[in-house]
Amino acid sequence: MAILETERLTKSFGALAAVSDVSLRIEAGTLHSIIGPNGAGKTTLFNLLTGSLPPSSGTIVFDGRDITGTPAHRVPHLGLARSFQRTNVFPAFSLLDNVWVAAFACGPSWRGLAWRRADRYPEVRARALAALSDVGLADKAGQPVREISHGEQRQLELAIALAAAPRVLLLDEPAAGLSPEETRKLVALVRGLKGRYTIVLIEHKMDIIMSVSDRISVMHFGSLIAEGTPVEIQRNPEVRRAYLGGVAA
Amino acid sequence: MNRKTLAILAAVVVLPLVLRPAIAAEIWIFAIFGLGLNLLLGYTGLLSFGQSTFFGSAAYVAGWLLKHYGINVFLALGTGVFVGAASAALVGYLCVQRSGLYFIMLTFALNQLFYFVAYQWTSVTGGEDGMPGIPRPGAFLGIDFRDPLPYYIFVSALFLVSLWIMKRIVESPLGRILQAIRENELRAEAVGYNVARFKLLAFVIGGAFSGLAGVLYAMLFGIVPLEAISFVTSGNVVFATLIGGSGSLYGPIIGSFVFIWLSESVSTLWARWPLLLGVAFVIVVLFFRGGVVEAWARFCAWWQERKWRSSRQNG
Repeated sequence: MAILETERLTKSFGALAAVSDVSLRIEAGTLHSIIGPNGAGKTTLFNLLTGSLPPSSGTIVFDGRDITGTPAHRVPHLGLARSFQRTNVFPAFSLLDNVWVAAFACGPSWRGLAWRRADRYPEVRARALAALSDVGLADKAGQPVREISHGEQRQLELAIALAAAPRVLLLDEPAAGLSPEETRKLVALVRGLKGRYTIVLIEHKMDIIMSVSDRISVMHFGSLIAEGTPVEIQRNPEVRRAYLGGVAA
Repeated sequence: MNRKTLAILAAVVVLPLVLRPAIAAEIWIFAIFGLGLNLLLGYTGLLSFGQSTFFGSAAYVAGWLLKHYGINVFLALGTGVFVGAASAALVGYLCVQRSGLYFIMLTFALNQLFYFVAYQWTSVTGGEDGMPGIPRPGAFLGIDFRDPLPYYIFVSALFLVSLWIMKRIVESPLGRILQAIRENELRAEAVGYNVARFKLLAFVIGGAFSGLAGVLYAMLFGIVPLEAISFVTSGNVVFATLIGGSGSLYGPIIGSFVFIWLSESVSTLWARWPLLLGVAFVIVVLFFRGGVVEAWARFCAWWQERKWRSSRQNG
């Protein structure tokens, strides 16, 4: 069953179609990767899916419900959370508070919003700590963001998305700017999340993609040019031309 | 009870003994005003240059009702809080649509709009002459608020209540969400907060505090001067809050003390006193971005280290 589906989704900036006619089906429980050269429109596609940008045309269906045009701040409440390509956290906060803010947003209730002390929400705190331990940062919960490494900030980025307890996770290049060692750690982490969440992954590093994906969609100049299992994609001549061409030659 | 609370309570007791009660009362009134601004400035990261809109509107409306209908003091306070919040809802709704410099200019421009209404509408506001003849609340439970000292006690009690409420707000999830918006608006939206709605809420709460301060001010001096709704007052509260330290709940209180004390005490000795404020402001901006609160924290750290060093040398 498809949990997230787009139908002829298009986003144009003037004459440029950043995303054009993209029809995508994400099956529940799978890890579905979206690859493509820089500027292929992958991040724009995420921005459309999460309501950060309104589509020019086409529809987005999440769990059988048309969510096209839903504002960005409503989307996480539906069960669709994202991480960002550039680390996008709350710099002055501790790690725990970073995650706490996301956990509270999608928590069961906002009762006592302006009156109850923020540290008197044990269930929100528990969920925030669980998200931190899912990414292996539980022992640094009290530290401020500026004291952790870039690799750990990427993990925190992921934890903020997890804290929303989403049904679908959209991960935009979680390994961006990481050393090979840190990348291995993060891949192991994403692999551990597989099965617990439906994951849509944008990534550049082909070895990661090929080893963790159930299905792969390939974007080129805003359009989908191929879709299949990792093996099918590796064999696809059009994909080789568009994306792997440089590597194969 | 922690040390900060004790220090404030001590200040409430000591202040009327060393300063004229009217000046002491003005310090706490201005502190309430600063608390409201700081929810926007320090916590949400929104520099509003139009806070006197809410302060002045509340002072005019409640002052007018006090003057012509002799309304009950608590009704006057309630009116002030309501008018402050309502005018802030109106101004805030327009301002939160924009960010950065445009936001600041909008708060300023709308302030000017309200100012000129007050300036022109002389039959109600008295224009440049101000609105005089606002009575202070009469006897209540056998205490006559027309005497300076009982009124001081009344004001400082309201200040303590305001501080307690603001402390609860900034320590609540709302306070944390506003700080998250200050830290990273885009991510706050992405994790599920309607940023514009939360900014508006901060405006309304800040407006309510400003409104309360406005009524207390009108009753303290018995007049609403035109300046109460002018950009000078808006600038003063920003100034005082920055000098005190916008990063802390207590910053605006210290700022209010410094500002009012300088303007009321030093101004009688030296007409060019704003020069001192200017120098203080430059020092804050250059060296202590967190204002007096940060300067004090750094001094304490330095002192601790010195003590530690000397104890090692001696031991």
